This record gives sequence, structure tokens and C-alpha cells, in this order.
Amino acid sequence: MIYYITSILLVLIGMYAVLVKKNLIKIVIGLSIVDNGIHLLLIAIGYVKNGTAPIFSKAGLQPNQMVDPVPQALVLTAIVIGLAVTAVALSLIIRLYDHHKTLNINKIRKLKW
Amino acid sequence: MSPVHFIAVPLFAAFLIPLIGKVSKELVKIIPGIVLLYLSYLSISLFPIGVNRPIVEIIAGFNPPFGITLYYGPIAAFLTTLITLVGFVIWLYSYKFIIREPTEKYYMLFMMLITGSTGIVLTGDIFNLFVFFEITSIAAYSLTAFLRDRDGAEAAFKYLLIGSFASTFFLLAIAIIYANIHTLNLADIASKIKDIPLTTRLFILILIIIGLGIESEMFPLNGWAPDAYSQAPSPVGAVFGGIVVKAAIYSLMRIIFLMFHTADVLHFLVVMGVITLLIAEMSAMKQQQIKRMLAFSSIGQMGLVIIAFGVGTEPSVRAAMFQMFNHALIKSLLFFAAGYLVFHSGSKKISALDGLGHDKPITSFFFAFGALAIIGLPPFSGFWSKLYILLSVADAGLMVPVVLILISSIIEAVYYLRVVSRLYFYKEEATDVRRTPVSGLVAMGILTVVILIVGFYPNLILHWMTPAANDLLDKAAYIKFGLFH
Repeated sequence: MIYYITSILLVLIGMYAVLVKKNLIKIVIGLSIVDNGIHLLLIAIGYVKNGTAPIFSKAGLQPNQMVDPVPQALVLTAIVIGLAVTAVALSLIIRLYDHHKTLNINKIRKLKW
Repeated sequence: MSPVHFIAVPLFAAFLIPLIGKVSKELVKIIPGIVLLYLSYLSISLFPIGVNRPIVEIIAGFNPPFGITLYYGPIAAFLTTLITLVGFVIWLYSYKFIIREPTEKYYMLFMMLITGSTGIVLTGDIFNLFVFFEITSIAAYSLTAFLRDRDGAEAAFKYLLIGSFASTFFLLAIAIIYANIHTLNLADIASKIKDIPLTTRLFILILIIIGLGIESEMFPLNGWAPDAYSQAPSPVGAVFGGIVVKAAIYSLMRIIFLMFHTADVLHFLVVMGVITLLIAEMSAMKQQQIKRMLAFSSIGQMGLVIIAFGVGTEPSVRAAMFQMFNHALIKSLLFFAAGYLVFHSGSKKISALDGLGHDKPITSFFFAFGALAIIGLPPFSGFWSKLYILLSVADAGLMVPVVLILISSIIEAVYYLRVVSRLYFYKEEATDVRRTPVSGLVAMGILTVVILIVGFYPNLILHWMTPAANDLLDKAAYIKFGLFH
């Protein structure tokens, strides 16, 4: 249960950062926190207390004693994707900073929403 | 000969292009064309097989529902053909348009977009769908910022912020689905979705509509589109409007028809489609920049497609697919022509286009042609799809959307004809000695010819739409082929 609560908290903290903060880098940090919250949620879904790796390594090991490996595979993929998005975001921020000499989102917005 | 090539070949080419760029710059430009030509050939030759009986390709040897599958049914066959053919024409146009360095980055990202879009269309696994969505999005963010100017970076950042928020929601939806029914295969989810409690299902639906609706340009999630379309290079605008949006809207509709096929959800789609259509057309009306106007028009057309999907009868889904086909061709033509009009006039403003019809007759002709086609005048192909959408919506007894579609068509006609009249009926003596390159003209010429042929013989395309519409509506067949192939 603690994992679920923590993951939801992480998502909310991240959303708060994205929606409220004015600094571009803080917004990207917020996005990463949201991502991490969802990764934790996925891991928590597959978690089994005192579970083992999903390999029949000992005699008499039952499938219900094993941790579900699928969410872990999903999270590995999602981490890689999150890394790529963060990298693109940060490189865009560098370019925005070059043009505007500021990271404050209010001073940058020129195009209309 | 298998559907895997649609994903593997462009992905491999995308990774190969930077390496080849070290050897020869010219080869970098040619390779995407060869790849797309091969994929077009492949899609045309696989088309009759896929329409006849869906090909279910098992990747990595795990049978469904455990492994990832590719589902090459009638819709996938139709959309991959559309994507690869439009992609080929866009490559032809880009050949002389993207002369600014670094070309290898442009072609690499372009190949990634093709990979992602065909992947979205083909995959039979919801997490795989998410991955392809991200491949498409990351390539799209980077292409938006390709021109390295101030507005490009800003538009790209805005797109990235909205896009990554959307993908987070989609991932959350996948997590909740997995927590409840422990499967990721779309066919398997479709057969077990009833086991999820109703409130949870509603929550999943909202998350998915937000997650996929952003790339599908559904109101109110389309704030990124006008900026991204207008700041990206013109061929990229054509890629977004012709390819990426089509793949995204397909995935949204596939998931809705598989998992949430109820009357309420379909009504909701109709309402959202109508709002998207009206707001987009009214916003297009007051745009000062030609590419922003085209972007809003593109959103409006997607609204029309969403309405037709939302009606949910077989003729309306068929009309929606036909409209997607026409829009992919016509909007690409408009972006191509607008790209060179902007290039010749030296400004993105509509007011700068005065009298270009006399100075650059061929490019202006293509723009005017596209404008008339998208408004839906006969004998162009746009006429038929709009007519069939109106007929099918009226058949379903939804008179209010019919009236609103007609009103929006009038608005559309006004703002397109305004631009066309500026091209031809205004005098401006400025002459630009630069010519529109042949590859660009050939690309626009191909699209024009196809639009005319389909306009005269709509049954050529409509004939293939019936199995595609059934593929989307027949959930039982999808489950049967997807799980037991």
C-alpha cells in the first residue's frame, strides 16, 4: 500500500511542479518526477511480498511466490523513453536560453496558445 | 515479405543515415527514397492478402497474449499504404527543399517518424503502441525545432510539454489496465475489459482520450498543433498532417471501438468532433499566417473525421477512412504549395502573397487546386468524402451535426478562397527570380493527379474502405484473429 500512496504523491508533486513553476528546468524536473511516480506504480503492481525472481531456481517454488516480471520490463522501457524525452527537453531549453537569455516561461511566451 | 519490414527497414535506415552521412551527403538524401519506395511496393503487394485475411505476425516466438504481435488487417493495410505512399511523395518534395544542413538529421528523424507511425498502425500490443507513440513524438519534437530559430524552439518545447504529459496519462492507463486484467495484448484486453469495474473503466477511458487525443488534435488538447505546424519546415507540416495524425487517430479509434464501444462514448466523440471542427475553423478564419491557417484547417478536418467515427455505423466509418485518405493527400499538397509560396514571398503572412499567382503560376495553381479540393468542390476527391460523411451522419438522424458541418464548410470556403483570391486578383510587382525546383513540382503533380483520379472514380478507393470499416467495427473478429490467428 505504501508504494501506491508514494507513487500517487510523486505524480501529484510532479504535476504541481509542471503547472505552477515558472522555471523551464523545474518544469522538466517535474515531468521526470511524474514519470518516476508512474514507474513506481507499475513496479508496485507486480510486487509480491518476499517474492523471488521469476526463475524456477529452487525445487518447490510456486509461480505465486514470484514477482511479476512484465511491469519491470515495461518500466525499463519507460525509463529509456523518459531519458530521451528529458534529453530533448533540456537541449530545447539550452536553445531557448540562447535566444532569450532567460529561463522564465512568462518572459519567453511569444507564440499564442 | 512480412509486415515486420514496415517497422524494421525504416528504423534500420534511421540508424544507418548518420553513419552514411560521414561518407556521402548525397547518399543520405537518396536512401530514404529507396526505403519508402520499397515499403510502398511491399504495402501494395501485401494489401490484397491483408484485406482478405488479417496477417498476425508473432515477434520473438511468444504466442499471443504473451508476446508482442503485429496485426496486419484491412485497416492496417490501408493505412500503411497511405503512410508509405504519402511518405514517398514527401521525400520527393524534401529532396530539394531541405537544403539547409544538417540534412542527415532531417532524414534520420523523418525515418523515425515513418517507423513510429507504421508501428502505431500495425501493433497489436498496447505497451508497444505506447513505445511507437513515443518514437513518433520524440522525432516530431525534434523536427519542430529543426530550423534552429527562436519560435521553433518555443513551439517544440510547448509540444514536448503537452506531448509528454499526454504520454504519462497513457502510461498510467496501461498500468491500470495491467493491474486489473494482467494482459497487454489489445485483443486479449478487448475480451477481458468487462472484468474491470465500471468506474475504473471510465477512468481508463478518460486517461486514454487525453493521452491519444493530443496527437489526434482533438479539442481542447490541440494547442500545440498550430505552432508546431507553422514553425516546422513545410514538408514536416505535411508529415504531421498527412501521416502522424492519421496514425494517432486510428489508434484512438481502435482502442475506443475495442474497449469502450458504447453509445455514450460514441456520442461523446460526436460532440467533441463538432466542437473541434467549429473552433478550429473559426480560428483558421482569423489567422494571419498561411501555415497556421493550414494547421487549424487540419484540426478542423480531424474534427470531421472524429464526428464520422463517432456516428459508428458502417457507412460513416467508411466515409471517415475515405476522408482520412483525402485529407492526407490534399493537406500535403497544400503544405507543399504553401512551403514554396512562403519561400518565394519571403514571409509567412497571408498578406504577402498578393499577386503571386501571376509571378509563380504553377505553385499558385497547385495551392488553388488543393484549396478547392479541401473545401469539397466536385470533381475533386474531397467532395465525395464530405458528401458521404454528411449522408451517413444524416442517416443516423443527427441533424444538428449535419447543419454544423455545413456551416463549417462555408467558413472553410471563405478563408481558403480569401487566400486564393489574394494570389490571383491582387497586383503586386515584386518578382522572385528563384524557381520552384522540379522535385517539388513533381511531388505536387503526383498528388494533384491522384486527387483528380479519385475525384472521378471514388469507387477505386471506397471499394477497399468496406473491409476496413468492418475491421474496425467487428470486435469479435479482431479478438479471434489477434489471439488465435
